[in-house]
Amino acid sequence: MNTTLADIMRERVLLLDGGMGTQILANSPTVEDFGGKLADGCVELFNERRPEWIRTIHAHYFDAGADAVETNTFGANEVVLAEFGLAHRTREMNTIAARLAKDVARQYDRPKFVIGSVGPGTKLLSLAQIAVSALYHSYFQQMLGLLEGGADAILIETCQDLGQMKTATRAAHAAMAELKIQIPIWAQATVETTGTLLVGTDIASVLTTMERMGIQVLGMNCATGPDEMHAHLAHLAENSPLPISCLPNAGLPANVGGQVVYPLGPDAFAKRVIHAANEFGLNIIGGCCGTTPAHIKVLAGRMGELHARPRQGNAERSVSSLYQSVTLHQEPGPLIVGERTNANGSKKFRDLLALEDYDGLVGVARDQQREGAHMLDVCTAYVGRDEVWDMEQFLVRAITQTTLPLMIDSTEVSVLERALQLAPGKCVVNSINFEDGEGKARRVLDLCRDYGAAVVALTIDEVGMAKSREQKVAVAQRLYDLVVGEYGIPPSDLIIDPLTFTLGSGDEEFRRSAVETLDAIRDIKAKFPGVLTILGVSNVSFGLNPGTRHVLNALMLYHAVQAGLDLAIFNSSKVLPVAKIPADERRMVDDLIFDRRREHYDPLKKILAAFAAGREVMTAKVDTANLSTEARLQADIIDGEKGAILGHVDDALLAFEPLHLINQVLLPAMKIVGDRFGAGEMQLPFVLESAEAMKAAITRIEPHLPKDANTKKGRILLATVKGDVHDIGKNLVDIILTNNGFEVKNLGIKQPIEDILKALESWPADAIGLSGLLVKSTVVMRENLILMQEQNHQIPVILGGAALTRDYVEKDCRTVYDGPVLYAADAFEGLTQLRAISEGRLAGLTTTSKSLPLEATGIKVLRKGGSSVPLTPDGQSSWVRREAEPPTPPFWGVKEVSHPLPELFEFLDEFALLRNRWGFTQGMLSNEAFEATLREKAVPVLARWKARLLAEGILQPKASYGYFPACSKGDELLVYSPDTKVTEPPDQRSIVACLPFPRQATGRRLCIADFFRAEASGKLDVLALQMVTLGQEAADFAAQLYQADAYGDYFYFHGLATELTEAYAEGLHAQVRRELDIHHRDSENRRQLFSQGYQGSRYSYGYPACPDLEGNGPLLELLEGSRLGVHMTDSFQMDPEYTTSALVAWHPQARYFSI
Amino acid sequence: MKTATVHFLLEDLLVQAPVGTSLQAIADASGADITFGCRNGSCGTCRVRITQGLEHCSNMGTEERDFLQGLCVSDDERLACQVSVLGDLEVDYLGL
Repeated sequence: MNTTLADIMRERVLLLDGGMGTQILANSPTVEDFGGKLADGCVELFNERRPEWIRTIHAHYFDAGADAVETNTFGANEVVLAEFGLAHRTREMNTIAARLAKDVARQYDRPKFVIGSVGPGTKLLSLAQIAVSALYHSYFQQMLGLLEGGADAILIETCQDLGQMKTATRAAHAAMAELKIQIPIWAQATVETTGTLLVGTDIASVLTTMERMGIQVLGMNCATGPDEMHAHLAHLAENSPLPISCLPNAGLPANVGGQVVYPLGPDAFAKRVIHAANEFGLNIIGGCCGTTPAHIKVLAGRMGELHARPRQGNAERSVSSLYQSVTLHQEPGPLIVGERTNANGSKKFRDLLALEDYDGLVGVARDQQREGAHMLDVCTAYVGRDEVWDMEQFLVRAITQTTLPLMIDSTEVSVLERALQLAPGKCVVNSINFEDGEGKARRVLDLCRDYGAAVVALTIDEVGMAKSREQKVAVAQRLYDLVVGEYGIPPSDLIIDPLTFTLGSGDEEFRRSAVETLDAIRDIKAKFPGVLTILGVSNVSFGLNPGTRHVLNALMLYHAVQAGLDLAIFNSSKVLPVAKIPADERRMVDDLIFDRRREHYDPLKKILAAFAAGREVMTAKVDTANLSTEARLQADIIDGEKGAILGHVDDALLAFEPLHLINQVLLPAMKIVGDRFGAGEMQLPFVLESAEAMKAAITRIEPHLPKDANTKKGRILLATVKGDVHDIGKNLVDIILTNNGFEVKNLGIKQPIEDILKALESWPADAIGLSGLLVKSTVVMRENLILMQEQNHQIPVILGGAALTRDYVEKDCRTVYDGPVLYAADAFEGLTQLRAISEGRLAGLTTTSKSLPLEATGIKVLRKGGSSVPLTPDGQSSWVRREAEPPTPPFWGVKEVSHPLPELFEFLDEFALLRNRWGFTQGMLSNEAFEATLREKAVPVLARWKARLLAEGILQPKASYGYFPACSKGDELLVYSPDTKVTEPPDQRSIVACLPFPRQATGRRLCIADFFRAEASGKLDVLALQMVTLGQEAADFAAQLYQADAYGDYFYFHGLATELTEAYAEGLHAQVRRELDIHHRDSENRRQLFSQGYQGSRYSYGYPACPDLEGNGPLLELLEGSRLGVHMTDSFQMDPEYTTSALVAWHPQARYFSI
Repeated sequence: MKTATVHFLLEDLLVQAPVGTSLQAIADASGADITFGCRNGSCGTCRVRITQGLEHCSNMGTEERDFLQGLCVSDDERLACQVSVLGDLEVDYLGL
């Protein structure tokens, strides 16, 4: 007869094994044992490479008396194995591990079991370090392997993150369904000494969340010794219906002389574990870090002191968030479900959604939490928008930034599923009904079962909304039978909504509707023990004025709670204590609720009359601001309040002419923004937020403008010049000009002057603005002006761009064109000039500023070194030593690769991003103010963007890199075909590219070619080439953001994508150094690494050592750039924008230098 | 006009400039072998060691201070693009 784990656990306490890692390391594994450097550290490989080691450890534990051992598969999931290049072997490696352990178990004549160990991995789901789908797949593969290998149970252990715990459990269920094998799933959380899991979850939330996930055991392991676990074990003992496991460490680890030491020896450990097992009725015990077969042996000897105790659990139901568990039985009731995070219920939420101000949405959530909500009803359904996308965007932020459990409110199954995947805790799904029969309800209930959610069920059937008490109870019965009877969901996770209708219509059909609802609540509570009720209370007053609604809602809530209502969807800030309602009002409103009409007395009419008389009834008037309407609008602009400003505009439109608002209120506020930016008091991201608020306000006002109103101050044509793909600078100018009242026609990038002038014909403007980042573009600008001169144009031209200088514009450009030519250092200078042009104040602008001739700068060379370094006979710098042997690459030729986003983040230079790309510089701010800006604005923005990029797959990082045999010849680098042999005489080698480089005229006389062996040396050197791109998708996404007037997001995304491209290049360069085995000098400190803290150098065309972009051509060809979708523009830039390529020199003296 | 001399050690280049001139301008004008990257203190390409006259360098701005702190370097290192010359200096380029 087969004895199962369950059989044994019914009779006695089960004994598991102890630590695995230290036992393995006792064999002192070498790189050879791991099978090479790439796999160094992957202990799961020993199941196949050193099976005798693992067998021995398993056997030692069985011999010591363990009933079961855990497989050596703690890190054997795709995510972890990928770090060793072994992701594709996940399933197979788990099968091997489980089979190995089963083999050992079968050699005993008593029942011995194998538990499939599933560790937490290296990425935290709830902090958005990995996508749900990737994590799920990672575990799914591991589970398949463990099942195939014959594991007797799955143990999801050492869990630090609730989201991961749920995802792994779902993967286990799915794998069992796939293979048609059913074994128990056990889960163990790791509670740190802080009292929570790593991400801040308490044990109560773990229990609430996991209890409904179809697991058979819930326990704890790792982090601490047995004593520190007491409080958490006590909570489980008191509340969990599931058997409890406990696998502590051998005490809290101490660092003794650089060694981690666990203080509890076998006897001391066993004493404490046995004590805990008796105290809390534990069902499974064993050990974790620091425990050995000796520890298990002593425990085994004392197992006779323990007796299996069945568990009762606590019938009270709860829901949970990432951080806490909240009981559904609030005392005093009801549980308040905040209704304002709902696009159907809150105008503010809807407006923020339209603006994609997801942080503003989270702000709404947090307001409700502050105002006393116990749970948040979240609904992002908004016509014309992508509900799934909006739900994701909101949840990614809300799950870590609020502590409240969530009620996911949607009629779309796909929205519910995505939300349930993202929310780490136990949610409530809102809702099911039978309007379209049972089919859809079943689809939703499948989700509730799989994700362990509670469910709101509305009393609606095929006939319609149940209006009478009897109909409501009848539908409730059907709901109960399906949810509790068929799906086996506990009654207390069924929350029935008996519906309430407005009493405001006076419609005879609904006069008694409140009474029916209150009676139905009583009946449902009596008839279905345990089942909860919920009501969207404010529906009762729909259509009435705010004052009436406030009182009617409060009284309806009061009576519903009296009838037994458990949950109320309610605006938590509007809970009005019934005692504060004046007696006569209360009588009147109660008469309405209970339909106490008499002859000549209709409470509804009386209420309408009373409130129409202008009596302000108890409206908790929110003191928005003491500011005047105009000052409030200005404050909104300056603070970038693009959500709040809409309501304020609406208010202002009641009192002011639209033109007055634009000209006298909003534009002056933007002027203040510009002045503050100029004074270094305000940073670019905040300026863009102001511009977004401006845009929102203007869009709101526009329909109110008189038809013939001309609000525009002037018109300008903008373009990035021919050959230049750089968009952002010009677009920032567009944003600033547009939102300061100018009409802008933005022609885009790579614009030949002919096209610009053609556009001018059909769209006469006051000025043309030309932009470009490249040095080449400054030349193009001058050529454009010459052509304009030839065609007798006179229109003012404003020039701007990174490589442009005031001097060049005033000396070289102004002289070739008779019309005004102006230089703008930034968007605001451009604004000043455009204002002057449109107001006819050109005179002062075109006077050439006083610039000093070079000799007048006072810089004088007194002595110019002994002399320059002499050149070798080959014409190369003698400063470069040539004795080091070139490294050997792992392959010759080119490879296409891709890397996941988290690997790019590892190399992201956040300092450069925040300061340089995003413009968070200190300016005139104090240290404290600047640090606060970084902490409260810049860092959170970055965190959110990272999460968003991870969740949405906007970036498709791809790369191509490779190694070519190469030699230098004077100033040139000869690149040979990959199959070239060193023995081939130079004149017979096939040259695939010949790359010329400039040489320094003085000093060290360096040239990039010098870092490679000369052709005449008789040796072959190795040239590494690399190219990375974030793909066309990234460029398209940036364009979308810009089109949608999401200025801030556009700017942030562009900066981040640019810096991520650099990060990718840095990361790939690191890989190249590893492959060439020259990575031993890589700096540990990231900032140092980013400042060339490594051997060799990476040169990109366009930078000081090789400034000429034309070199991108041969590079692109060698790297087969077209396969990555990368092409070159007329001016030798790579397209799409977020692309960069480089040559890598391995030579120790190769560093950046300037020509 | 008060002047100062800057001695670039790598190529034994001695340059005179008015007090208050930026080290970047002096390096650019005299062709000193110092490579500049972003020129606003966030890339570190132009890191130099001031071997003499550290007290003759302008005070560190916050950008440079924050950058160098993250780099964990010794006190005599500066970013050439952020320094104004207030007296005689001896400069060694570190990007080697």
